[in-house]
Amino acid sequence: MLNWFSSVVRLINGEQEIGRSRGFWICAFAVAVGLIVLPRFVSAYALLNYSYIISMVFLALGLCLIWGFAGILSLGQAAFLGLAGYAYGVVGINLSQSGTTYLALIAGLMVPTLFAAVLSYVMFYARVKGVYVAIMMLVVTLLFETFLNQTAGPQWHIGVASLGGNNGLGRFSGAIHEPPSITLGLGSRLIEFSGQSVAFYYLEVGLLIAIYLCLRALVNSRFGLILAAIREDGARVESFGYDVRAIQLVVFCLGAALAALSGILYVSWGNFITPSVFGVTNNILPVIWVAVGGRKSLTATVISTVVLTWLSQRFAIQGEYAFVVMGALLVVVMMLRPEGLITSFGGRKTSASPPLSPGSSHDGR
Amino acid sequence: MLSEGFSLFYQYADSISLLMLSAVGLMIIFGMMGVINMAHGELMLVGAYTTSVVFYAGLPLFVAIPAGASAAAAFGIVLERLIIRRFYGQLLSSLVVTWGLSLLLAQGFLIIIGPSIRSLPTPFGSFSVGGFSYSYYRVFMFVIALAVTLAIWALLRFTKYGVEARATMENPAMAHALGVNTDRIYMVTFGLGAALAGLAGSLFALEAPIEPTFGRNYTPIAFITVVVGGSSDIVAGLIASALSLSAVRAIFTTQFNILIGYVAMLVSAFVLIRFIPNGLSEFLETVLNRLRRS
Repeated sequence: MLNWFSSVVRLINGEQEIGRSRGFWICAFAVAVGLIVLPRFVSAYALLNYSYIISMVFLALGLCLIWGFAGILSLGQAAFLGLAGYAYGVVGINLSQSGTTYLALIAGLMVPTLFAAVLSYVMFYARVKGVYVAIMMLVVTLLFETFLNQTAGPQWHIGVASLGGNNGLGRFSGAIHEPPSITLGLGSRLIEFSGQSVAFYYLEVGLLIAIYLCLRALVNSRFGLILAAIREDGARVESFGYDVRAIQLVVFCLGAALAALSGILYVSWGNFITPSVFGVTNNILPVIWVAVGGRKSLTATVISTVVLTWLSQRFAIQGEYAFVVMGALLVVVMMLRPEGLITSFGGRKTSASPPLSPGSSHDGR
Repeated sequence: MLSEGFSLFYQYADSISLLMLSAVGLMIIFGMMGVINMAHGELMLVGAYTTSVVFYAGLPLFVAIPAGASAAAAFGIVLERLIIRRFYGQLLSSLVVTWGLSLLLAQGFLIIIGPSIRSLPTPFGSFSVGGFSYSYYRVFMFVIALAVTLAIWALLRFTKYGVEARATMENPAMAHALGVNTDRIYMVTFGLGAALAGLAGSLFALEAPIEPTFGRNYTPIAFITVVVGGSSDIVAGLIASALSLSAVRAIFTTQFNILIGYVAMLVSAFVLIRFIPNGLSEFLETVLNRLRRS
């Protein structure tokens, strides 16, 4: 038992991730405690904003996993977020009388993940890589936006859920039904995790801690090491006998599932979703969060996503400068600290390879 | 029957000119420098906006359109000198940094210029065939698209710049060693690509409302045209890609509607990349070589 525990700890604290010192874990524990006691000290409105911020972290973690660890840049992660939101919303609306939202949750997770499996089969088994994957994903997500924007009118409905064109699912389209919040429980003992509730916030914090630790273990596992090897030199990994395409497919689906979790939480939080979630802005923001913090670190991604989303909300109050600041930040960081702000100051000395060696950078051509 | 045939042909030509014009600037930058310029749409906006300002200052369109292209070229060269030149040979990094630029510029223009820009009137009027009316301006754009493509081909084929640019594209280190100023070639090439983006923006501005997200209406089709065309031969890739994607679009648009035509084109791009990941130009080269050998 103790043996098993210590091997898990060693996995979580492996070399593929920054923040391995005792000091880091003391800080992390303090942050976790801080997150747990936070609702006692802030207003309901602030808590609603924090819940939104945490819901976006999973999207960023998914991109960090596929881009930072496996070397697959996707410019269309919002496709999975939006698809999850719509799938969860449509099933949730149709089964609203059943009380719980288990089936909607399953639909919200499975639809984007299966879609990602199909997409990655198409792309990776054709040896499409680099910028081509990035651009294809952007085309996919914009295709969803274009399609859903024109689904106004009574003929566009799935069951009792009308898709609502550019007003989307929920109250803005004037529909009677809106996507439900996550509701769990058995029989008559139900808990509804509505967006404003403290329960929803705690659900997110729990998911965040669990998924962060699981991903840390994953990137340090055998699978994670193969991912890093594929990122550095896919052809060499292949010559060792690994099926690079299958591994890329699996990790791409994991990234999509994390984006899907964000999508479900987003819909559950606001009880609405519109086609604009598929738009350019929602695809570029996760790239900024991941690149600015440091794409090769889960910890850096979590920190920068929280900080930058919080800053965006601050700037949004000031005026329309949030996107200017975010765009400028990305450009400056890419020029001065291409490995990201947090990872370059956090100092990871184990990986000695140059950030973008000529060999790996030409793989998109 | 004749009028239906003409309608299909017109749709086809119209789609070809749209794809070629919106993609040609992007294609040159991607083909020569390996950089996918995600800020392409914002360069188009610079062209469109400048054309609008110059036109309403009282100057004729044949001055306003080149002014738009020149402004975009100047803007592009500034971006290249300040930022993009640091990212040559780094495909993914250049993609990310230009996307950041795109967000920065689109929002910056929105703040500086405001949400509405005076739209331009469409010149030349219309003609009718078999009861349907068609715009002369679309025909004009088709002619311009062909002329631009021909000019690019001649530029790369017959001028000193063209030879040096193709040498730099093949092997930058060797070209540099042989005395080609590759840094200058990159700058000029990016400026040329930006000028063509600006030209496309100016031309499209004459028949579409100009708004800060103006360029984003054209960037998806520009990207797929470039990616489907591939980077091994700019002119061949551009033509092959525009011809094939437009065929799909024209057929589906006339059979169903505009949206299905658009979706069918994007889906067919996806299928083409699946089977020909290096683009049509390389595929055609391989086929031609095989034919020659047999």
